[in-house]
Amino acid sequence: MAYEALDFYDVDSLLTEEERMVRDMVRDWVDEEVIPNIEIACRDGVFPDEWRVALGEMGVLGAPLKGYDCPGLSYTAYGVICRELERGDSGLRSFASVQGSLAMYPIWDFGSEEQKNYYLPKMASGEWIGCFGLTEPDYGSNPGDMITKAEDMGDHYLLNGAKMWITNGSIAELAVVWAKLDGVIRGFIVEKNDPGFSAPEMKGKHSLKASVTSELVFQDCKIPKDRMLPGVKGLRGPFSCLNNARYGISWGALGSAQACFDSAKDYAMSRIQFNHPIASYQLVQNKLSWMLREITKGQLLAYHLGQKKDAGNWIPEHISLAKMNNVDIALEIARVARDIHGANGILDEYPIMRHMANLESVKTYEGTHDIHNLIIGRHITGIQAFTREA
Amino acid sequence: MNIAVLLKQVPDTTAKITISDGKVDENSVSKWSMSPYDEYALESGLQLKEATGGNLIAITCGPERAKKMLTDAAAVGADTLVHISDDGVSDSTHVQKLLTAAVKKFDSHVVLCGKQAADTNGGSTGPGVAELLDAACVTLVSEVNFSEGNFTTIRPSNSGTEKVIVNGLSVFAFDKGSSELRRPNVRGIMMAKKKPVESITSGDLGVNLDPSNVKMNSQNPPPEKPAGQKFEGAEYVNEVVSKLRNEANVI
Ligand SMILES: Cc1cc2nc3c(=O)[nH]c(=O)nc-3n(C[C@H](O)[C@H](O)[C@H](O)COP(=O)(O)OP(=O)(O)OC[C@H]3O[C@@H](n4cnc5c(N)ncnc54)[C@H](O)[C@@H]3O)c2cc1C
Repeated sequence: MAYEALDFYDVDSLLTEEERMVRDMVRDWVDEEVIPNIEIACRDGVFPDEWRVALGEMGVLGAPLKGYDCPGLSYTAYGVICRELERGDSGLRSFASVQGSLAMYPIWDFGSEEQKNYYLPKMASGEWIGCFGLTEPDYGSNPGDMITKAEDMGDHYLLNGAKMWITNGSIAELAVVWAKLDGVIRGFIVEKNDPGFSAPEMKGKHSLKASVTSELVFQDCKIPKDRMLPGVKGLRGPFSCLNNARYGISWGALGSAQACFDSAKDYAMSRIQFNHPIASYQLVQNKLSWMLREITKGQLLAYHLGQKKDAGNWIPEHISLAKMNNVDIALEIARVARDIHGANGILDEYPIMRHMANLESVKTYEGTHDIHNLIIGRHITGIQAFTREA
Repeated sequence: MNIAVLLKQVPDTTAKITISDGKVDENSVSKWSMSPYDEYALESGLQLKEATGGNLIAITCGPERAKKMLTDAAAVGADTLVHISDDGVSDSTHVQKLLTAAVKKFDSHVVLCGKQAADTNGGSTGPGVAELLDAACVTLVSEVNFSEGNFTTIRPSNSGTEKVIVNGLSVFAFDKGSSELRRPNVRGIMMAKKKPVESITSGDLGVNLDPSNVKMNSQNPPPEKPAGQKFEGAEYVNEVVSKLRNEANVI
């Protein structure tokens, strides 16, 4: 049975024909290759390498970037791709977000011409995987105080420090690492085989099991001078990347929510208790109706934000609102869907518990839910509430 | 080599079909797709194109909505897109005439199509076009290869498969082929968007659609499946076996 997406307000009819074709391409691939294999990937705790190859072949990596063999799609198309991937699994979407928005984007926006020509074509084709190292063991929501530092040694840079929670870390060919050079945050490209660099995988996750998460360790890691990103200084560098990734997540979370809604609806229609399908009871209908309501609002939010991204008239706070809202409702929808499935909801025969556990990470990474609240709060009041110091 | 592939847009095999006033209600079809056997013909056409450096002409006869299917074909590699308006078309002989005229207009050397369309399951297009073209026709093929001026095809035979070799202008009607239609990619989709669809009418093709002598009286949904029957206990074994044998005809 082909997947028919919940689209109560026909929001997808606003997409261009090209965007719809890209949607169908990714959707078919997710149905054929991802959904039948995702539970095994999660049990084994691996990101299947075939998926990297397929994403490269479809040409969706770094979707909105132009030139350097990048796809050159609209931001709206990028959002749609994230949504379709995340209907399969948030780990899959994480892979694509990190590759496109966190690793390719900074090279594309802040890299030298040589860096762009060298890295971007191979990253767009999926041949090289990238990762993004910002978070440290002691600095998560507050990356500005990071410890990792770079020293200018004349003919090379020396990196020291550690990053944590780095998606794709152990499978990456290159890492875009943010470190302080003379107290100023700068971006550096570190390659897998650079001396003094290692990327041990973090094990034991109950969430995003089909996504690789790693530490990045730099012990007198020596990198050539031409690996610093010349085009940006300070937190603006990593934050520009995060803006794009967060935007993609605001669409992606809807994919998870739709998968949970579909499963809950089908289950409620066929599960008989007290002689009738549970879907015939008002309490259950209320849950389904609430899910549809929130998904529909989320779709309008994501689509409109996509249009703003494409038109260039957005502010980061717009993205914070959509990321925060859509992940929040997706997680709550997953929880309610789990409830509707009863005991079956905890089995991997249904996608519910997997999406639910995944979304716990999605709520935290790319700015926790409350950090986005604080960003919006600052926008409303003009008063920052991140820290007690002014 | 000019490779013509005849394509038809049909309700997706997963779409619900509703009938109103004795006719399929097209407006209620949620999703239209390329007919599945045509997909095999298209994939084989793309492989022929790659092997011979040819030009692939995707041709459909249908309403406006069918243009979308041509764009989908362009996304996987069709070079020329031809949409023949189905205005005035009332039976399959009309469709055959129009397709034949288009095949000639675009100087095609070989014609590939599905063995039947998934909606009408008529199966007349391939042989019908071959007849009008006075071309060789091989049906139910799963594979077509070209070398040294010959087309080598594989089709089923009484005892397994047979290889049929033909040359000259030929029509091949595809059963399930040996390779599935390839997935498009972003580059293909972006190029497809720029590829114009050539729209032509029966008048442009010089085809006279004479009054049809075929009339469709009505369409009906398939009979609903009777409700299942449930038997519990060993005493029903004989009854169940006899039902399986005589009613369900499965043993
Ligand atoms: C699976 C996974 C993958 C990840 N991938 C990457 C990656 O690829 N690259 C990367 O750099 N990072 C990555 N991260 C890290 C992620 O970005 C951080 O976890 C996130 O920024 C939160 O940091 P933290 O975990 O240290 O939480 P903390 O910052 O310690 O936050 C803990 C809690 O405190 C709250 N809090 C913090 N500050 C305030 C405040 N001022 N006011 C009120 N509440 C506050 C938060 O909202 C949260 O609820 C990943 C994380 C996960 C789970």
